[in-house]
Amino acid sequence: MSARDTILARVRDAALARPEAATNREAQVAERMTVGPKGIIPHQGQATGPQKLRQFLEKLEANDTTVTRVSSEDEIAHAVARELRKRNLPAAIRMGEDPMFHAQDWGSLDVSRGPGRLEEPVTLSRAQFAIAETGTLVLTSGPDNPVTLTFLGETHFVVLRTEDLRSGFEDMWGDFRKRGLDPRTVNMVSGPSRSADIGQVLQLGAHGPVALHLFMVG
Amino acid sequence: MSGHVPTSSAFKSNSQEALVNRNLQAALRGSRGNFIAKRAAARANVPEFDDIRDQARDMKNHVLANLDLYLEAYEKKVTEAGGHVHWAETAEDARRIVLDICRKSNAKTVNKGKTMISEECGINDHLAENGIKPVETDLGEYIIQLRGEIPSHIIAPAVHVTVPEIEEAFRKHHAHLPPDRDLSELASLQAEARSELRAKYFEAEVGITGANMLIAETGQSVIVTNEGNGDLSQSLPKVHIVMASLEKIVPTLEDSATLLRLLARSATGQEMSVYTTFSSGPKRSEDPDGPEEYHVVLLDNGRSNMIGTEFEEMLRCIRCGACMNHCPVYQSVGGHAYGWVYPGPMGAVLTPSLIGVEEGGQLPNASTFCGRCEAVCPMRIPLPKMMRSWREREFEKNLTPSATRYGLGVWAWAAQRPWAYRLAARIANRSLGITGKSKFSKLPLAGGWTKFRDFPAPQGGTFMDQWKAGKR
Repeated sequence: MSARDTILARVRDAALARPEAATNREAQVAERMTVGPKGIIPHQGQATGPQKLRQFLEKLEANDTTVTRVSSEDEIAHAVARELRKRNLPAAIRMGEDPMFHAQDWGSLDVSRGPGRLEEPVTLSRAQFAIAETGTLVLTSGPDNPVTLTFLGETHFVVLRTEDLRSGFEDMWGDFRKRGLDPRTVNMVSGPSRSADIGQVLQLGAHGPVALHLFMVG
Repeated sequence: MSGHVPTSSAFKSNSQEALVNRNLQAALRGSRGNFIAKRAAARANVPEFDDIRDQARDMKNHVLANLDLYLEAYEKKVTEAGGHVHWAETAEDARRIVLDICRKSNAKTVNKGKTMISEECGINDHLAENGIKPVETDLGEYIIQLRGEIPSHIIAPAVHVTVPEIEEAFRKHHAHLPPDRDLSELASLQAEARSELRAKYFEAEVGITGANMLIAETGQSVIVTNEGNGDLSQSLPKVHIVMASLEKIVPTLEDSATLLRLLARSATGQEMSVYTTFSSGPKRSEDPDGPEEYHVVLLDNGRSNMIGTEFEEMLRCIRCGACMNHCPVYQSVGGHAYGWVYPGPMGAVLTPSLIGVEEGGQLPNASTFCGRCEAVCPMRIPLPKMMRSWREREFEKNLTPSATRYGLGVWAWAAQRPWAYRLAARIANRSLGITGKSKFSKLPLAGGWTKFRDFPAPQGGTFMDQWKAGKR
């Protein structure tokens, strides 16, 4: 017998030996696997309207993400250039093929496209969704937004359409499925990287970005 | 032999050494209380927290009762996404599987995200013995790898190391850097580790991570980190190997949310760890980055034998570390005294299950039964009850030292005869009181106590005498 069959047989025998073992285990599992919210969604994951936005901004601040709000997509390139100047960063940025970024007039900014390289002072990605419950950005890997840009940029810029903000995990996953997305990775990001492994003191900028800045559109 | 040779049976002498180790005690003092306060604050912000714990417990119980079906569903999804599932019955099987994959990819260097399953299997030693260099990339794991140690905490592996010791390790192992560089700031130490490891991410042919969860609905593995090292380890090399034990399954993405709501709050007091990454299969054909191969090594190593036993509930554990953060024993002796991969209360239950009661049977004795571990466990695992079960088994197997057995025999005889018990208590009370001392620095048969603190002299009669006299 293969290791697989041995292990599965042992697990199955133990399951069936229970006095309370259900006779319709297959049906129960199928029922449990139907997707959609079934359990408790904490109050914090159900905010709506202005409260949802307010809570999201509070949570971002708490996890050290900074924010610029712009009213339309046309303003992204401008806001990015301004933020680079403000942070005394070089006028260069690395990004993927996201149509939203292709539609921008980047002016004199040195724009390069592709996955992350060894040294990446600033990278730009677009988030598919965000979650107000915890101040979390949800990114999906692919040519539009290569996953390595999220981790190799010393400063990571992210663009989010405010309409893509969701209350909690449940409504986010519901709409995620509706968009038919199947990326290699879904990356939930809640602030810049950090570690407390040296002296139990929390410091930002472990292996990932030292700073995370969000541009909210609309 | 590959893997960590357990020294759990020497818990007593390990902990005596730990108690007089000044650096360790300084490090433990520095971290003590931090985790407790942060968890309490995070928990207080979610009024539904205890209900979510119940829901998580019930969900995991359901999964364990149907684990065979969930594993089959999960495997099917991984395969559909182009990944491979490898089943490992033992740690030795897991070592062989990982080495085979590394050899097929002609790997010279393997990057590691933090994985306790890899520690359990002794992957690093096995790769090194076979000419492949393992590089730990989690900052804490990197520090202990340089020092040639194993983790002393499941989420803060280097919690036992002081800052001067970290500087010493960096100066020794980063000998190519200028010897007069300034490492007096914590930030300069972290920056140095960051730049040393950054280049290594691009050199490795294989990246190994653990998994906090495996999702049956989608075939995804999930890692939760704060540093971003796990993601760099799994995104840059050609091959990604996930090492996970088979009880990590949850049914759906919504179920993963239930556990995420508990995990970081219980572990570090964060609402969410910085990075939670869901991975499925190798990179898609149009992707510019990501691994070309995706392998999952599903480890059993004794877990399937726990299903249906009194230790089954241990399989709900999500490895947050709250039990050890709240354990007075762990906080006094640190993780290494436990002698194997898993320390603290969860380790005291899991270790004898995985490596046998002969080797790990001492650990369930490392408890005051104060019950804090169970009180804070997000998965409501009855840790003290299970430690008691192990003590009983240890006793039944005649593994308990003869002096302890004799003592327990005398006590049991007296406990069943109230007159004898009360008489003995009265004699002890009077004879200690008659000396006129208020405390004792030495007492026969109580040297273990009086070596570290005085024994107070009894005041007044025995409890039963006072009770009878109406003092209530």
